[in-house]
Amino acid sequence: MPPRLNLLRCSGSLRSPATPVLPFLGPFLPKAQPLRRRLQPRLQLQEQRRAASILGSLSDVRGAYNKRIRRGRGPSSGKGKTSGRGHKGQKQHGKVPAGFNGGQTPLEVYKGKRGFKNNFATEMAPLNVDKLQSWVDQGRLDPTKPITMKELNASRCVHGVKDGVKLLARNAEQLKTPVNIVVSRASAAAIAAVEAAGGTVTTRFYSRTAIRRVFRGEVDPAISLLSPPPMISMFYPDESRRPKFPYRLPDPAGRKDLEYYRDPANRGYLSYMVGEGEGPSLFFKTPQQIAEERRIRMETKSMAVSDATVVKADNRLW
Amino acid sequence: MASTRQHRRGLASEAAISHKNSTTSSNISTNVADSPLTRHVTYSGVWHPPTTAPTDTVIATAYRFPMMIPERFVAYSASHLHLPLRRDILHRAIVYEGDKTRQGTASSKHRTELAGSGRKIRPQKGMGMARLGDRKSPMLKGGGVAHGPHPRDFSTDLPRKVYDLAWRTALSYRFRRGQLVLVDGKAELWSAQGAFVRNVFSTNGWGRAAGRSLVITMEKRPNLFSGLQAAPRMGEAYTWNDVDVKDLLSMGRLIIEKEALDKILKRHQSDLTKTYKIVTTTP
Repeated sequence: MPPRLNLLRCSGSLRSPATPVLPFLGPFLPKAQPLRRRLQPRLQLQEQRRAASILGSLSDVRGAYNKRIRRGRGPSSGKGKTSGRGHKGQKQHGKVPAGFNGGQTPLEVYKGKRGFKNNFATEMAPLNVDKLQSWVDQGRLDPTKPITMKELNASRCVHGVKDGVKLLARNAEQLKTPVNIVVSRASAAAIAAVEAAGGTVTTRFYSRTAIRRVFRGEVDPAISLLSPPPMISMFYPDESRRPKFPYRLPDPAGRKDLEYYRDPANRGYLSYMVGEGEGPSLFFKTPQQIAEERRIRMETKSMAVSDATVVKADNRLW
Repeated sequence: MASTRQHRRGLASEAAISHKNSTTSSNISTNVADSPLTRHVTYSGVWHPPTTAPTDTVIATAYRFPMMIPERFVAYSASHLHLPLRRDILHRAIVYEGDKTRQGTASSKHRTELAGSGRKIRPQKGMGMARLGDRKSPMLKGGGVAHGPHPRDFSTDLPRKVYDLAWRTALSYRFRRGQLVLVDGKAELWSAQGAFVRNVFSTNGWGRAAGRSLVITMEKRPNLFSGLQAAPRMGEAYTWNDVDVKDLLSMGRLIIEKEALDKILKRHQSDLTKTYKIVTTTP
């Protein structure tokens, strides 16, 4: 709709208080301006700006909508000739009872569903230390540089990585070369094997999207916002020569992930977050924490009696 | 002092997950030392990672109604009044409300529900005309309706946490655009005359030219409510439990009593809070 000329407003009739009953409104009215200024186009535009409601531009995300399948509209639609109903018979022309299989036993009895699918399961690509050693021996991995899943995937030491790479300890005694390796998870025996050879293991969080981007070189293979400086300097001794990437590697947000990477036993990259006397768990407290809390509670109780008036109602939201 | 300490103890684990000030707190004043990210500094003592979390709180001005004299500043959690705009969430909430609001009382009579005889109108054969059964056939005038509407429930489901997020998203959208006018105390007028209401609203820039205004109060304010009924072009007034998400977004601005805003926020934060069992000890 084109902007409307608000001529009434130019006359100033609406700008003056309508009745003298309202003395309190006086100071809040805009000061009288010369007519010339009121007619300036900029001011006019500002006054005529209509309140646009957001309601007209709301929509669910595109993935929430499905395009309707138009049946019987030509061969190129894929649902053209028989409209997806096959040939001949009751199924083409009408309805067949759900689960009806032609005989006496219905489908759900004849081939019922068994078991369940865990949608939250993580699928880790295994990486055994003997294979790692073999790849180093063949010169397919450079042990002088930190090894991430980018190098592992590029050298085909691992493949088909979905949720991450887990370092395992098959033939652990074969590992002799010290390596600095960053993976999603590592078994305790594998950590021991790498460290016995003089190397280091760091486990860090990767999401599925992040893994894809790591492989494409669109994101830093190991450094994210929460990475500690020792880890950064391991990858980039010279901070000024650190490359730039279009995306940022994510850090964990879920409790289980946070707890895994906070755990020093897993060589988690967030283990620096665990303070003295704390455990990696975000739920269970250590005996020291419980004792400390009890001490504070006793203190607070004694303070609350004396400073009962300190916490005013004004400071409280509810 | 005591409350700050409680705050820290209660929230240590949650805050570390969410990386921002949790809203379960009873006290909205936040201490920098309580921030989950800076908390690590005290332990490691070496460095602290960059703060990615947005500021924990936002400051709103509470005005005296209707002169709109600024009275004081009020701090709100960013997860209450400074959420990013999510058009999809708002859309889902409004569709949900619309579905729930539908009466679904449309009703028509099928041929089985019509009064009348089942007598055959004319013989099956030999008349040279079409076959016909009884008078209630949907083909005939005065017959039943073949596929007509019947009373039904149109309501759809929306997870409570999504709906609550939509409430706070709508309020945040208003707040960020400066369209959330916070009233300290009661939003009541001293006259219910339409002319008076019109003057107050147009002087404050709340009237029809500015998209009308929705006033949300804690309880019914007699003068304001009847005054706005006399001047409907200025806006509408509702009590806090009579509004929904669509109301929050439909007019030019919200004028809301602080107490009412707090009530709304408290009711719509299920995605932020866990339910705790409150154990009270009597002295």
